[in-house]
Amino acid sequence: MTELNQIDLRTLLSGSKRAWDGFVTAAAPLINAVVRRALLTYRLNEDDVLDAAQDVFVRLCANEFRLLKTYDPARASLSTWLAVVARSAAIDHARRRRQITQSIDDVAEANLAVEDRHVEKIKIPQGLLTERQMLVLRCLYDEEKDVAEVAQLFKIDAQTVRSTHHKALRRLRAHFQEGSH
Amino acid sequence: MSTDRLTQADKELWRSLAAAPVVAPGTASDLDFAAWLEGRLTEAEAARIEAAIASDPEMRRAALELAEVLGHERLPASPRLEARAKALVGFEVERAPARAGLFDWLFATNRRFVLQRVATLAAAVVISISGFMMGGGLGASFAQERQAGLSRPAAPPSAGDLSEFPFSDGT
Repeated sequence: MTELNQIDLRTLLSGSKRAWDGFVTAAAPLINAVVRRALLTYRLNEDDVLDAAQDVFVRLCANEFRLLKTYDPARASLSTWLAVVARSAAIDHARRRRQITQSIDDVAEANLAVEDRHVEKIKIPQGLLTERQMLVLRCLYDEEKDVAEVAQLFKIDAQTVRSTHHKALRRLRAHFQEGSH
Repeated sequence: MSTDRLTQADKELWRSLAAAPVVAPGTASDLDFAAWLEGRLTEAEAARIEAAIASDPEMRRAALELAEVLGHERLPASPRLEARAKALVGFEVERAPARAGLFDWLFATNRRFVLQRVATLAAAVVISISGFMMGGGLGASFAQERQAGLSRPAAPPSAGDLSEFPFSDGT
């Protein structure tokens, strides 16, 4: 079986049926996994999940592979880029699906909450924390992820996450203690 | 792994700093996001993406989910998904353009192979003219030969030829 990162993109983008079939075989497990994970909270049935995964492939090949042509191998691996694209397509699919088919009585109350697409403005002075420290605190406290999950996200070891967290809180405490005096 | 080292006091301190939400700024492109997930960005580029992720809960969820999926082995997809996805791109024979004939090629309006097309047309004209001239000469010699054959006297039939006819004198 062809590995995703061994796909000959030029042949694929030329519209070769054989290259497309190879690409589908290599990409399907990843796209399937990403779509399933993304739709976990939407409680869709198996057919909807399959449709959402199919929608990812449709987007990739539509308009003579327009989306696939935006991929740049120099920037990221094909698998990671595909995962990002697949998740985004799956969320769009689920939102459209929810709008079209579900009666308000059938939707769990939590799912009816307004989407939380906002920036939580923090009363922390600019530059007090690094972007990395800020994101670590967000993941640990706002997303309630554990240290191992945050370490996996940043591809660093758990001890580095703890150290980043510790330094960030020390800075915060120092700053706000100074301010209170 | 647990959050045992993350004390409630730390959490409270963090939460006390959150204020009213404002509209999100611009987000990172898919490629930038993928590059960040792989740790391929420079420190400055990564800081820009991390700022966007820190300020957008949806991006944070995406980052955490993708890191989780990409870090694990994946199960094979269902054959139905593969079959449907493969059917999205047709067979090459369906997409092949209709074959152009010599005539189409010679008089095509595009600018490709202009020299070759002119040379082919010139060769065709030369062959036609020389063929016509040769054909004329051949026609005349054939006519002469035919005329000579008609004017020649017929040979008398041989004995062998006569014996083939059944003569009868009435006996």
